[in-house]
Amino acid sequence: MQKKIRVRHLLPLLVLGGVTAVGLITTAASGSTVPSSPSSNSTTRSPSQSLPTSGRRSKAPPIVYVVPNSKSDIKAGEVLFEANCSSCHGPAAAGTGVAPPLLGLGPATVSFWVSTGRMPLATANAEAIRKPPRFPPYQQKQIVAFVSSLAPTSPAYPPGIPLVNTKSASLPTGNSLFVLNCAGCHTITGSGDALANGAFAPSLHKATATQVAEAIRTGPGNMPFFGPGNLSNQQVADIVAYVKGPIQHPNNRGGLALGGIGPVAEGFIALLIGVGACMLIAFWIGDRA
Amino acid sequence: MTDVTHETPGSAPGGGGAAGGVGDTGGSGDGSDASDGADKSSPVFPVASFEDPHLEPYARNPRRAETVIGIFLILGVIGFAGYGAVYYVGGQTQVEGIFLGAGLFCFGFGLSAWGKYLLPRGPFVEERHSHVSTAAEVDAMTAAISGRGKMMFRRRGFLGGILGAGATIMGVVLAFPLLRSLGPVPKDTFDHTNWRTGSLLVDFNGRPIRSDDLEVGGALTVFPHGFVGNAMDQTFLIRPENIDIVTAPGRETWAPLGNLAFSKVCTHAGCPVGLYEEQTQQLLCPCHQSLFDVGQGRPATPVFGPAPRPLPQLPLMIDTDGYLRAQSDYDQPVGPGFWERS
Amino acid sequence: MSSTNGPVQAEAAPRLDTDPGTKAVRAGVKWIDDRLGVAKDGGRSLLDKIFPDHWSFLLGEIALYSFVVLVLTGIFLSLYFNPSSAEVVYHGAYAPLRGTKMSIAYASTLDLSFAIRSGLVIRQMHHWAADVFVGSIAVHMIRIFFTGAFRKPRELNWIVGVTLLTLAIVNGFLGYSLPDDLISGTGIRIAYSIILSIPLVGSYLATLSFGGQFPGDGSIIPRMFILHVLVIPLIILGLIAAHLGLLVRQKHTQFPGEGRTEENVVGSPMYPTFIAKTTGFLFMITGVLWALGGLVQINPIWQFGPYEPTKISYAVQPDWYMGWLDGALRIMPSWEFSGFGHTIPFEIFLPAVLFPGLTFTLFYAWPFIEAKLTGDHAEHHLLDRPRDRPRRTAVGAGFLAFYAMLFAASSTDVLANFFNISLNIVLWSFRVIVFVVPVIVGLLTYRICLDMTGVKGVGKRKRAMIVTRSAEGEYSTVPSAPRPGDEHEELPPIPVPTYVESDEEQTQEEEGVRVVPR
Repeated sequence: MQKKIRVRHLLPLLVLGGVTAVGLITTAASGSTVPSSPSSNSTTRSPSQSLPTSGRRSKAPPIVYVVPNSKSDIKAGEVLFEANCSSCHGPAAAGTGVAPPLLGLGPATVSFWVSTGRMPLATANAEAIRKPPRFPPYQQKQIVAFVSSLAPTSPAYPPGIPLVNTKSASLPTGNSLFVLNCAGCHTITGSGDALANGAFAPSLHKATATQVAEAIRTGPGNMPFFGPGNLSNQQVADIVAYVKGPIQHPNNRGGLALGGIGPVAEGFIALLIGVGACMLIAFWIGDRA
Repeated sequence: MTDVTHETPGSAPGGGGAAGGVGDTGGSGDGSDASDGADKSSPVFPVASFEDPHLEPYARNPRRAETVIGIFLILGVIGFAGYGAVYYVGGQTQVEGIFLGAGLFCFGFGLSAWGKYLLPRGPFVEERHSHVSTAAEVDAMTAAISGRGKMMFRRRGFLGGILGAGATIMGVVLAFPLLRSLGPVPKDTFDHTNWRTGSLLVDFNGRPIRSDDLEVGGALTVFPHGFVGNAMDQTFLIRPENIDIVTAPGRETWAPLGNLAFSKVCTHAGCPVGLYEEQTQQLLCPCHQSLFDVGQGRPATPVFGPAPRPLPQLPLMIDTDGYLRAQSDYDQPVGPGFWERS
Repeated sequence: MSSTNGPVQAEAAPRLDTDPGTKAVRAGVKWIDDRLGVAKDGGRSLLDKIFPDHWSFLLGEIALYSFVVLVLTGIFLSLYFNPSSAEVVYHGAYAPLRGTKMSIAYASTLDLSFAIRSGLVIRQMHHWAADVFVGSIAVHMIRIFFTGAFRKPRELNWIVGVTLLTLAIVNGFLGYSLPDDLISGTGIRIAYSIILSIPLVGSYLATLSFGGQFPGDGSIIPRMFILHVLVIPLIILGLIAAHLGLLVRQKHTQFPGEGRTEENVVGSPMYPTFIAKTTGFLFMITGVLWALGGLVQINPIWQFGPYEPTKISYAVQPDWYMGWLDGALRIMPSWEFSGFGHTIPFEIFLPAVLFPGLTFTLFYAWPFIEAKLTGDHAEHHLLDRPRDRPRRTAVGAGFLAFYAMLFAASSTDVLANFFNISLNIVLWSFRVIVFVVPVIVGLLTYRICLDMTGVKGVGKRKRAMIVTRSAEGEYSTVPSAPRPGDEHEELPPIPVPTYVESDEEQTQEEEGVRVVPR
């Protein structure tokens, strides 16, 4: 029976503390974590937000589609395209064996893939995931301008890059639409998850408002298409507002958020820290041998 | 210099520690006689010397231990006061958690440390006393039960039978309010939904759906008009192509212009199959990852995961104004399986 | 030195002090004894009750004190939670849901989390305590199993304990489903389908308990509430009383050691040592749970939104203690029997009804199975070291590994996302892992146990070897002296002294703190 607390008795405590710290930091880093003050809710505020069907929407349209088509942009875009994209997509974006044609996909599609850094892809078989964009915004605009100039945009795709005005967006409507249409793949917290056969639905935490609208309207990858017959421009704006608000800046007034991947993370903490700490206390109170 | 009284215990069971027992050994193994009740004269209480090492505190340095314990108790009180103050000014979850959590922890640590380090370290011992009765006692109890039982039932078997049958019937009848009053019986509730011939497809806002509202590659949740939000009526409308799709013989007219409608209720455990992979043309259920194939005219066939049956398909038609309507209800019960499902 | 060191007759007992404190105590003791006779035998059966000191015997207390926390925080929550499925339009503190229709149950939980002071910390504490409650029961049960404490005469207590585990899991499920949020509501949907899958009576049980086809007539929430706050806690309380009562009557088990036999119990006395330690333990556990409740977010229902049967989220699992069932549901192949006009959906019925039924039947039956297999029907009060019973330990380790694999299988999608592996591969791997890993673990454990029993000094710190060199250049090694704390310096046990005597003119105390003059 020892009469002192020895270093080796502290060792399990330190190990537990270290593992806990690492675990908490990694889960914190993977999700949004700042414990906000009790009443904070950083979203765009508007007087009509609290009324479900207000009718007092501001006159400005919720989405404005912008087409970059200046001649200088197109010319510069052609150079960029030949250097970075034509090796897979063909010199006039007509497609090759390894990559599809880009004709008629419209500015919004090209803008989404390029601005999220998914394109250019290192090899044809690489997974297209969000990366830091290869090109600065002005060059992205040029590439978009060039590809859009090659063929008229098919009516299935939006006519331009969507600029979203969330001033008159309704968060409760956005919430309802998000849960119905988006949460099934992207999860209710927007953390993303794995789909079947190696596909996955990405996290929404880094998307800009434009990228969200682009994705909704152009259905990249395995994502379904949500055209105007499915979701109106106002509804898209509502969803964008909800993503930019409670999804990307969730109210975590309960403390450390655990990544938004569901109760499995909570169980991990409950066993490791909850039961673990109590077991350590028991280890201290009782005898060892 | 351990105390005199005690040989290693283990001599006799009995004595010591029993509530109301005579405790003539007053504790363990000082060698006195075994059986309970042998000496009911007066209880005996063990005595130990003040210098007995068993009574020493566990801590090598009790003064220092006292100081540390005192510090922790004070930290505890600070924690309590802090929590009270935070609550008074309106509360904040994390601060409340830290103050009272740390406060309780420190206070408890002080108390436990007091018990561990400052109190006699022992170890101390008490005797078990066996619960097992003698064979004679067991025989006696058996005789009591069976003997009196025989007295009750001798030549009264018939009455016993009525008693037993009555008790059973009572149990059965008492179950009626406990079970049957809870709710309705199924009847044919599971066999039908609210879709009928001519039901208009509407979305979550009640808006009717035209046959060209959905883009190719689009997906939408629809309901029969008047039943928006109904759990079993919910239907997933997808559009893999824009020409008629035939998913099985007999279903040639069911998917006009590529508008394909399946029940959204997973045939595994009933979750809404809300995940449409537009390129691989598969429906994935988020709960247990059942995968249903809808590409190349396949009728939502389960290809992966635990779902046993394809999602029932809703036959659609396009009315004269271009709106989508149902031709009829589903041709089978929707949702997970159950006994009466044939 | 001291006068008598032996037990004394009552008449010859040293006189009590006459200070007011002791006088008051005596008056109180006499008052109660006049009515209940508690002072028989000097009250030693209560005050001197011995608790063995090993740390693993405190695991059950973690469960007990988590339950105390659950009851206290639960009472607080029940004063604010409104268990009604009636719909209301929310106009409360959480802006993104203002104007949304939701059940009153969900709205009252939002109010608890946003509008009531200390509401969120207590609500989260309640949820953490529930997770820790089931976890500590599991850890405690594992200890009981591996040390053989369930053997005669304690099979009854084992049965009570397994029932407590079942009720804890059920009550936890009912509890986290009460707020009627999207994730727990999905769990209720699955529960409905599980009930439905039972042959012959499933559809009746489902419509009776819910009030119709899913989601029913709304009565499920108030029914879950009354089960969760009244019926099941009452049963749990009664079973805990039985559990502790059996423990008091049969006395605790102990590991073999100095002075410890099958006929005694060695450890610390109830008063004051054990009471001090255990009350402190209660406060510490409460402190840990309170800190968790304030610092780590759990079940942020406002982010999930209210439950609607048409809505779903990905990456949802039940709470951890239901994970083994969720994992079983995911990896089960789609075997459904359909014929003769009836369907038995084995793809649900097997993993969600038959399998847990089998599991708990096995748990209940284990003491009797082991007694039959080993032929050991003797009373046991001394515990086994797990390594000394390699077969039981291996079987236990294998089963633990099996359930652990099922737990892991309940997060197939999250694992696939995290490790960037195809979901299909993850699922198929689990179908194999769930059977292969337990066998490997069991075999390995068996081997390790056998190896450990064969080696002297295993598990203890190794002694350093001192290498000496003689003048001729010959090297020899000698074990060093044992480290001071390594040897087991325990005294032989004595009964708890009622009277403490010294030859000094000091106040005699009954087993008090010894003040060491400085």
